[in-house]
Amino acid sequence: MIEYIIKIKRKARSIFRDRWVWRMAWRDARHNFSRLFLFTASLVTGIAGVIAIGSLNYSLQDDLDRNAKELLGADLVINSNKKLSKDIFKTLDSTKVTLARDADMASMVMFMNTRQSRLIKLTALQGDFPFYGELRTKPPQAYDLMKTGRYAMLDESLATQYEVSSDDSIKIGNSVFKVAGVVTKIPGGGALTATLAPAVYISLDALDSTGLVQFGSRVGYSVYIKTLSENQTQELVKKIEPMKKKYGFSLETVEGRKRGLGQSFQSVYRFFAMLAFVALILGCLGVASSVHIYAREKREEVAVLRCVGSSGWQAFNIYFIQVFVLGIVGSLIGAVLGMGIQQVVPVIFKSFIPVELKMGISWEAVFEGLLLGAIVSLLFTILPLISVRFVPPLTVLRADFQPGRIFSKTKWATVALIVLFPVAAASYQTKSLLTGVFFSLGLAVAMGCLALVAIALLFLVRKYFPKNASFLFRHALSNLFRPNNQTRVLMVSIGLGAFIIATLSIIQNSLLHQVEFKGNTNESNTILFDIQPNQKDGVVKLIQHHQLPVNQVVPIVTCRISELKGRSFESLLNDTTDKVPEWVVTREYRVTYRDSLHHSEELIKGKLHQFNHNTKDSVSVTISEGMHETMGLEAGDSLVFNVQGILIKAHINGIRKVDWPKDPPNFIFVFPKGVLEKAPQIWVATTRVDDQQKSGLFQQELVMDFPNVSLIDLRLVLNTVNALFAKIGLVIRFLALFSILTGLVVLAGAVINSKFMRIKEYVLLRTIGARTNQIMKITLIEYSYLGLFSAMTGLVLSLSASWLLTRFFFKIEFAFNAAELLGVGAGVVFLTVLIGWWNSREVIMTPPLQVLRKEN
Amino acid sequence: MGFKLNAMDEDDRAYVRNQYVGFVFQNFQLLSTLTALENVMVPLELRGDKHVEPKAMELLSRVGLADRTHHYPSQLSGVEQQRVAMARAFITSPKILFADEPTGNLDEENALHLTDLLFEMNREEKTTLVLVTHNLELAQKTERILQMKGGKLVNERLIIPA
Repeated sequence: MIEYIIKIKRKARSIFRDRWVWRMAWRDARHNFSRLFLFTASLVTGIAGVIAIGSLNYSLQDDLDRNAKELLGADLVINSNKKLSKDIFKTLDSTKVTLARDADMASMVMFMNTRQSRLIKLTALQGDFPFYGELRTKPPQAYDLMKTGRYAMLDESLATQYEVSSDDSIKIGNSVFKVAGVVTKIPGGGALTATLAPAVYISLDALDSTGLVQFGSRVGYSVYIKTLSENQTQELVKKIEPMKKKYGFSLETVEGRKRGLGQSFQSVYRFFAMLAFVALILGCLGVASSVHIYAREKREEVAVLRCVGSSGWQAFNIYFIQVFVLGIVGSLIGAVLGMGIQQVVPVIFKSFIPVELKMGISWEAVFEGLLLGAIVSLLFTILPLISVRFVPPLTVLRADFQPGRIFSKTKWATVALIVLFPVAAASYQTKSLLTGVFFSLGLAVAMGCLALVAIALLFLVRKYFPKNASFLFRHALSNLFRPNNQTRVLMVSIGLGAFIIATLSIIQNSLLHQVEFKGNTNESNTILFDIQPNQKDGVVKLIQHHQLPVNQVVPIVTCRISELKGRSFESLLNDTTDKVPEWVVTREYRVTYRDSLHHSEELIKGKLHQFNHNTKDSVSVTISEGMHETMGLEAGDSLVFNVQGILIKAHINGIRKVDWPKDPPNFIFVFPKGVLEKAPQIWVATTRVDDQQKSGLFQQELVMDFPNVSLIDLRLVLNTVNALFAKIGLVIRFLALFSILTGLVVLAGAVINSKFMRIKEYVLLRTIGARTNQIMKITLIEYSYLGLFSAMTGLVLSLSASWLLTRFFFKIEFAFNAAELLGVGAGVVFLTVLIGWWNSREVIMTPPLQVLRKEN
Repeated sequence: MGFKLNAMDEDDRAYVRNQYVGFVFQNFQLLSTLTALENVMVPLELRGDKHVEPKAMELLSRVGLADRTHHYPSQLSGVEQQRVAMARAFITSPKILFADEPTGNLDEENALHLTDLLFEMNREEKTTLVLVTHNLELAQKTERILQMKGGKLVNERLIIPA
């Protein structure tokens, strides 16, 4: 009887010990280096982005740690929105600390050289602020000069904008100051702060002379404290802390400022890191797609290897080693590039960074980047290559032979890891599992949507493409549908970059459109505030004198809440179980009184009640929608206001839906007439000035006649928003560029991938009479299509996403600049054509006979 | 002792092929990225054998390609490629050699030379040769012919060598 062997005891060799697979990997790769490298080059931009942003984070955290005190300029700062009590100074005097003080407020400034005026943040300084870090000025003695009294300093950007030099003067309130110089650096300042609120600095002793501090003026007071030691700081904090509630001030420590800045930077960092990460994921898609096609091409060779006795794993390992090793090389190049970009990053990010960055190489970030590169190379090459293991030797004889469905544990384990990978990586980067999950879901949805749009677009193009179009156009289009095409992957990867840039542009335009007040010509664009009651008539007359409309003249009374639904201020503060946030109870409210609704308001519950002097009822007030939920108030609920020391019992009589950006000011609480008339109050007037020159003249006269009245020119806000976007936009575009670059590298890989098929096609075309010129045109048209479809994919999704964002998130009108979007589209098409043509030129230019000989 | 091939998994069958079986295909099936020498060495290298180059060189000389060892398949003519394939098939001294239309892609003269070489080497190596062909003249050179039609055996005859 014959004995059969059905299981052979073979020596299992691991990938590391099987020298043959390494040798074969090398032999096979040596002719394919450029092609293989292009696959893994898709990772270069992503890794570079991740490392550059990661390095910035580490360097910044490091700098924040090193320069913590310089950020605050002192060991401890007391902030308050009213003058600090003498008791606090007594306490401070009892310790051996050095003090400096400042007061800041919004004010108008008039530049005497041009007689232009604008709203600025006035900072009045006293003492030797800053104790740490430096206040750098041009010329250097400007600060000392300012301390003498009649001198002022300006933020550099403000001085440049209004062409103010050291010989000029500026008028603040009732006083005229000579310009001592400009401030180029100040603790706590930065380009972004200067854009949002440009500052003018004077001496605190000179503040009174301006006459700006009047009733109702919102002045912030700060005391900067320099202690002798860390222990003294701690003791002082312990001593002052209990006085906080009584005197209503807040304490800021170096640690607190550092934490605050660290947290805000972390949010910015997370957002930017995610953008870089998107480029990496795109690169992974590119790698997987290219390797998938590479593996399909290698089927026949694998079958031969199987015939001569190679095991499935050995065949797999040959190609895996090639792609993985080059993936690591790609990551290394990415790391070097990332370190290079890192040198540029501080320039691009300088608006967001409060300290001067000393950029060294962050090895931690480099290591993380390389690790990430290794992981993605591993995961995204295993999946497309796993099919190599199951190529049957019979493929040698029958190319179309397909084995039955084979279950592979490795494949499913890899799929699971690929799904987990973005979650894990994003969670690690944001240090939050939830953010990681949401980011991954968002990314999956975005990619899914892009893929859907791409599929739909291709379907429509195929279905409705004019059949009568010339041969060149039809042939170029059919090229996009050739077997083993990567058209969809390319549309997604190039489209994503276009999507990010276009979405940014649309959101920017929508926000700018919002502040431009284009829609309604009756809406105000100029707001005058801090008008004292005795100035009210004069200001109104001035507006009318300039033939401007008086849209609103509204009284504003400041008050606080002292009781909410029968619960006292103290009990609300001490109760940590209720859902009313602390700020709701402690904040100052600016309320108005009127018996009618403003046109930005709509009463959605209850009704407006006029106040009846004869009853002893509590006052009926209305509250804005949204705030009633935050405060847990419904119609009928009671509350007590503390209006400058006088308690007024009120109840909610109605809830108003307020369109906040529409014709400000708008209010949370509105009282009926007849209650607050006698309370100390200030007035706000609004008007609309369309003519720039008229506006200049009006502001000039306003500052001369009513120096304490401030004016917000909403067109200036528009400029500020624009400037802000220019700064943020630069960074986002810079990072979106990584995605576009990745897409283009993926494109280059795809072009090289299809090189042999193209050669065959072109040789055939030439054989039947096509000229080089025609083949070139077909190629250019093909990449124009690809660029166009990719751009359209990105733009279609961007328009939809932006519409949703503006409608439901920003709650503003949707607006876009068609020319800008066309520019994005044209840019994408141009780059796609350029990269496609560049990588095809060898194929186009090679004579057919040479190709035929080579082929045979 | 025999192997129950249909009960083995694919990797075990690959092992059996490597140890006992050689293949020659109609379209040569050389690995395009390997030189002629490397193509011939592959089966022995797969076994983990060392110093296989001399044997591969010897076989390439035997098939008349001593001066073409470092050429790639794309630099060789059809008959040269088939000679490399034969050298690769014989390097493991297989017990059985499957040749699938080995001359199908060659012109008459080259086909004749190659057939002679194949049978010569077959005799020298004492290999069992299973040759699949439509060419009856070529079939006549074997010792036993099994004629198939539509996947079924229709005729069998033995040829007594002269």
